[in-house]
Amino acid sequence: MNFVTNLLLATVRMAIPILFIAIGEMYSERAGMVNIGLEGLAAIGSLVGFLMCFITGSTWLGIFCGALVGIAVNMIYAFATINLCANHTVYGMAINIFAPALASFIYRVYFGKGSDLSQITLMKGLGIPGLKNIPLVGELLFNQTPMVYLAFLLVIFTAVFFRRTRSGLNYRAVGENPKAAATLGINVIGVKYLSCVICGALAGIGGAYLTTCYSNTYTEGNIAGRGFIALAAVIFGRWSAGGILLACLFFGFCDALQIRLQVAGLGIPYQFFQMIPFAATILALTLIGGRKLGPKAAGKPYRKEER
Amino acid sequence: MRKGKNSMAGIVVPLLSIVLALLIGAIIMVCLGANPATAMKNLAIGAFGSKPNIGTTLTKATPLIFTSLCACFAYKCGVFNLGGEGQFIMGSIAAIYVTLVTGITGVPAMLLALAAGAAAGGIWGFLPGILKITRGQNEMITSIMFNYIATLLMGVVYTNWLRDGSVPQTQAVPKESQIPRVITGMRFTWGFVIAVVLGLILYYFLFRTSGGFKLRAVGINATAARFNGFPVRRLMLFSFIVSGAIAGLGGSAELLGTQFRLINGFASGYGFDGVAMALIGQLNPIATIFVALFFAALRAGATTMQAATGVPTSVSDIIQALVIVFTVAGMALTKLPEFTAFLQNRSHKNGKEVRD
Repeated sequence: MNFVTNLLLATVRMAIPILFIAIGEMYSERAGMVNIGLEGLAAIGSLVGFLMCFITGSTWLGIFCGALVGIAVNMIYAFATINLCANHTVYGMAINIFAPALASFIYRVYFGKGSDLSQITLMKGLGIPGLKNIPLVGELLFNQTPMVYLAFLLVIFTAVFFRRTRSGLNYRAVGENPKAAATLGINVIGVKYLSCVICGALAGIGGAYLTTCYSNTYTEGNIAGRGFIALAAVIFGRWSAGGILLACLFFGFCDALQIRLQVAGLGIPYQFFQMIPFAATILALTLIGGRKLGPKAAGKPYRKEER
Repeated sequence: MRKGKNSMAGIVVPLLSIVLALLIGAIIMVCLGANPATAMKNLAIGAFGSKPNIGTTLTKATPLIFTSLCACFAYKCGVFNLGGEGQFIMGSIAAIYVTLVTGITGVPAMLLALAAGAAAGGIWGFLPGILKITRGQNEMITSIMFNYIATLLMGVVYTNWLRDGSVPQTQAVPKESQIPRVITGMRFTWGFVIAVVLGLILYYFLFRTSGGFKLRAVGINATAARFNGFPVRRLMLFSFIVSGAIAGLGGSAELLGTQFRLINGFASGYGFDGVAMALIGQLNPIATIFVALFFAALRAGATTMQAATGVPTSVSDIIQALVIVFTVAGMALTKLPEFTAFLQNRSHKNGKEVRD
């Protein structure tokens, strides 16, 4: 395989965790819930996914439990912001501090202090017969782990759901104008909670992907800003599933490129290459500027009694 | 009257949160098979049990006070600067260059390094600030991205540019340029004193000067501030720069007073911890100092606790994280109309009973 194929393959692989997290955030923001706690949700999902896989040997169970713990932690956020009307940003930060602390605590209690790096077997690739033999495209899209297919299916489902279905429109109404949505008989609080369940699950899966499909160990800080890059991807992708997919592929490409460049060396300190994804995020946001295209009621508390 | 109630909640809620978090911490200790009373006792001894221990607590509090004041100052103006860690690191990079590369030595080098640290932090705060006011960028995301870039830049410094032989770390700051200790036998330096004085100055500026009033007005309602003719954008940029400079000063003080060299993990987590402490302290610089002292005590005590009872130090991280989770939720609760109505009803009832 040549340099370009390798690069593109890595692009897809690196884009997937960001994609799961970003799509989760899109569901959240479409219901008016700006959740910046993604980094924390992914961190705890990553740890629990790793741990379950380590104990049971099943990567699928790992992913599933990563999703569950993501939901569980995000319910704290949901209760505080929906019922107590806490500031979304502030509470998201609280989650960003709480969840990684919990993750590292569990890791240290379970593995003790002086344990060697524990490893798991990664999820195996699943080539789709026939399609995987198409040159380049087959290798890129049809010879990956099932999680990659799931991610792409999720994008298609999300795009159809928000654009073509009635419930999708109702869902969006909650993020645009919750009071109007309530007068139409939409259960605003219910949709908001649902959005937090979806967001927690997907962020947890994104984190679990990193330990069960990408790197076979857990290290503290392994999310490495992907939760925040996912936030940028939602803005960059203009709150649409297709746009977010492109944004994530772009960020995945930056990540893949930086790894390749590190390997190539070129006599430049490797940290400069590692900066690429972060610099690209800033640059991407700068280019699109501050046009407010997101849901209008995003981040605002909703109170039933106020009319 | 109303104000009095709010400020009371601002003290009661964090204290209650701390109690609750310690309680959950105790439950975790029981689950780990330790006696929570012994563990907590050792935690307290580790933090305050002797002169050197108190010194360690104050030493650990110093960088936390700086990063929490950094967060505090920015949020008062309504800009969510999450870049404290990057600004802190840039300050320490500037300081190491001044002390190791410029050839200046002794006290002048120390003072220059502190100034350079503040300047570097200010520049690192300026970047997300200017991107916010000119391009309308989400300052949370950009300031975090700048954190990662600063951490990596620090990596270049200690693994490459200023690497000390085979070990990936810089040389230590020369003894004569280090910040001296305040009291012999206790580790804490004048850096701690600077941090506390800075907190007092910030309190005075924010709550007792017209500039501070304008800044807070922007934080409370930017639109209203704009209609009042306040230069909202300039104030936001100003608060970003000052906030960055505070963190940068902290970074250089930490390098010159405590750690002396850049190494992997320097400053790791200080930025977000600062955010947490500022929020627990209700964005009041003086309260924030006390919160930072509490967090530092938890950290300093955790080592003793682990040595004596085997309870891992990360329990103290959990306790800290729970304090922020509870405080923010609790403060939101006290602001709910139902809750205030409930309180009013109760005080009415009590009043009636007294009259009867």
